[in-house]
Amino acid sequence: MKGNSSSAKQLPDHVHYKDPSEPPIKKVPPKRKKRRRSQAFQEAMTGYFFLAPALILLGVFLLYPMGAAFYYSFTDFYILKPDDISFIGFENFTYIWQDAQFRQAFWNTVYFSVIVVPVQLAVALGLALLINKKLKFRVFFRTAFFSPVVMSLVVVSILWTFMYNPNEGLINQLLGLIGISPQPFLTSPDQAMNSIIVMSVWQGAGFQMMIFLAGLQNIPNHLYEAADIDGASNWQKFLHVTLPGLKNIALFIFITISIAAFKLLVQPMIMTQGGPLGSTKSLVYHIYETGFNYRDVGYASAMAVVFTLIVLTITIIQRVLIREERG
Amino acid sequence: MKKLSYLVAGILVMLMLAACSSDSSANSEEDSGSSGENATSDTVETGAVETSVEATGDEDVMLDFWIHQTGEDETNAYIELIDAFNKEHDDIHVNAEVIIDDGASAYSDSINAALVAGNLPDVMAVDGPYVSSFAEAGVIQPIDDYVDEETKSQYVDSIIQQGTYNDKLYSLGAMEASVMLYYNKDLLDEAGIEPADSIEEAWTWDELMENSKKLTNEDRYGLNLFMNYGVGEWLTFMGAPLAWSNGGALISEDGTKVDGYLNSPETIEALNYVKELFAEGVVTDSPGEMQFEEGNAALALGGPWIAVSAEDAGLNWGMMPYPFKDEKVSPSGSMAYAVTNNTENPEAAVELMKWMTNEEATVKISKATGMPPAQKSAFDNMEKFNELPWSVMKEQVLETAHARPATPAYPVLTDAFAQSFHAAALGEDVESVVEQQVQRVERELKRFEE
Repeated sequence: MKGNSSSAKQLPDHVHYKDPSEPPIKKVPPKRKKRRRSQAFQEAMTGYFFLAPALILLGVFLLYPMGAAFYYSFTDFYILKPDDISFIGFENFTYIWQDAQFRQAFWNTVYFSVIVVPVQLAVALGLALLINKKLKFRVFFRTAFFSPVVMSLVVVSILWTFMYNPNEGLINQLLGLIGISPQPFLTSPDQAMNSIIVMSVWQGAGFQMMIFLAGLQNIPNHLYEAADIDGASNWQKFLHVTLPGLKNIALFIFITISIAAFKLLVQPMIMTQGGPLGSTKSLVYHIYETGFNYRDVGYASAMAVVFTLIVLTITIIQRVLIREERG
Repeated sequence: MKKLSYLVAGILVMLMLAACSSDSSANSEEDSGSSGENATSDTVETGAVETSVEATGDEDVMLDFWIHQTGEDETNAYIELIDAFNKEHDDIHVNAEVIIDDGASAYSDSINAALVAGNLPDVMAVDGPYVSSFAEAGVIQPIDDYVDEETKSQYVDSIIQQGTYNDKLYSLGAMEASVMLYYNKDLLDEAGIEPADSIEEAWTWDELMENSKKLTNEDRYGLNLFMNYGVGEWLTFMGAPLAWSNGGALISEDGTKVDGYLNSPETIEALNYVKELFAEGVVTDSPGEMQFEEGNAALALGGPWIAVSAEDAGLNWGMMPYPFKDEKVSPSGSMAYAVTNNTENPEAAVELMKWMTNEEATVKISKATGMPPAQKSAFDNMEKFNELPWSVMKEQVLETAHARPATPAYPVLTDAFAQSFHAAALGEDVESVVEQQVQRVERELKRFEE
């Protein structure tokens, strides 16, 4: 605002302002160097101003909790005694190796991810290919496949728990019609995780289907036309035109599903409480229970730190693989 | 592409609206289902409700009061009692906050959060068996100075037992709870089985096994243990008396040792009895929500709320005392009130607790919830408890009720027992499962050693 008064003096007389409080238009720019500095500063300030909400939110809800969890992982923080926290070194971390529940939860989570990721990827791609055809009721199918995604996962889990019930559930009644005896979908340690996997794929695939669909529509039509001229079969077109065209999208989906699969929590929490016999307890669920139900925030934080390292490792491996494929 | 994205956006909005509406209805159903304490109310209000009454006279003391919500009728009863308290006391003003208790961790999460942030209310509702852990951590304070022996003697013994830790009284409750052996009168008549109408006649384990077998056929189970409530507090609440009745225990009397108690031969034997019930096929590990009410199970070991839902379903039902082996014991314990260390007015806080648990209040809350009252005299004032079938519940609460163990490690202990019970139900080797759980609880107990 310094420049205003000096520049006002140099204004021609015939220029009148209706509102005296309004600053006059700068006709003569201040010295170049000075202007550049202040403008750069102002631009930076504006930038930070716009960044501030995101930075503050990230700081309060991501960076601070992460830092706190890291700190607590070296303490014996018991939730009922927040004023009595003492430093216990690596004790929490060494207990992780003795904790049979952690080991079980880890392998459960790995099993879930290893099955869910490829299956969900394939189902999503299959649905997208179906819907991309000019079928009748295309919009209906698209809505039908996508609708589980917008439903609350909690609600979906409750509904599927009813459907899976051996005595009165819908699925077992249907199986009964074709002469198959009732299956203990959620109450048998052998079947529970698979039942959760089926539900999770059904719930999640619709979202990736939409992304694949967008990818399919971005593949230029002339490539298919050229393939037609070369006399390619449908299968060859899929293999040599569609798949290469979807590669980047598929890799993106692969990473997002993998991370989401590792964070499995809601389904076992609602449907099985981690049972039967711990067969559906996931890592995140084990961390949650330890911290909130058993109040052992210190140990839960240690497991959370290890969990973060695991997910980070997987992501880095995937990134490296992807970079190699691109190169 | 643009068209598609508009379409997606449109569908999203539509489905979100649809999802929201189905969300709330399913949730409220789940609320009343899992808490099970108010099967009659169809809609459960969610969210915090503030009650406040216009200021009357000098407001010397302000009390913040947290109550849990499992059903609408129950909450309305609490709010009426609090309003009456505010009118009666010129010098004390109570601000109540109603917090959803979904039967899982919603309510305790609220307490944990307030605890860490240091803004607990003056008085709060706590679940009976958790009193000792709060007491040990100094979250709540003893109230012996404000409660005389005469007042104490008016409560049923199990409520005082549940509220006592290290010989000091910490909590007072308005309601008790129990587990009864419900029966379908028509099915028992059909099978020619005589029900037990008093504690004297209570069935033994063998009688329960034998009769359950008789009542089981292709179309229905003999017994329902409400395994659909999940692996949680219910299994300890309902199942622990089997161990006690056999001379077993979950933990030592002073609450510091599980080795030799949770894995004692008596407790193992009780869990093996459970295993046998399931192995014989008289009970299922995944009953439907209304298995007993719909006549698909002839007997059911259920909470007081089953009486309400059986009545609503028009079932011809009755109740028997909890079956026994050697000693006659029965489940006990429910939500109670405790004064936190955050209060500046413990005397006024205890005044409020007494008000919320006096004879009038216990009658009112018993009527709203179907739970037995915590005041001895309330039983005499309520007609229904003096005749069958409710007289059996009264007898049980007054004579055989056994509080769950008082130990600061209760959250881990109850999970350890529930996991063992569930493993037994699934036919696992009880001894090895229990042994693993013992190690888990022993590790937790180390935290509380001096």
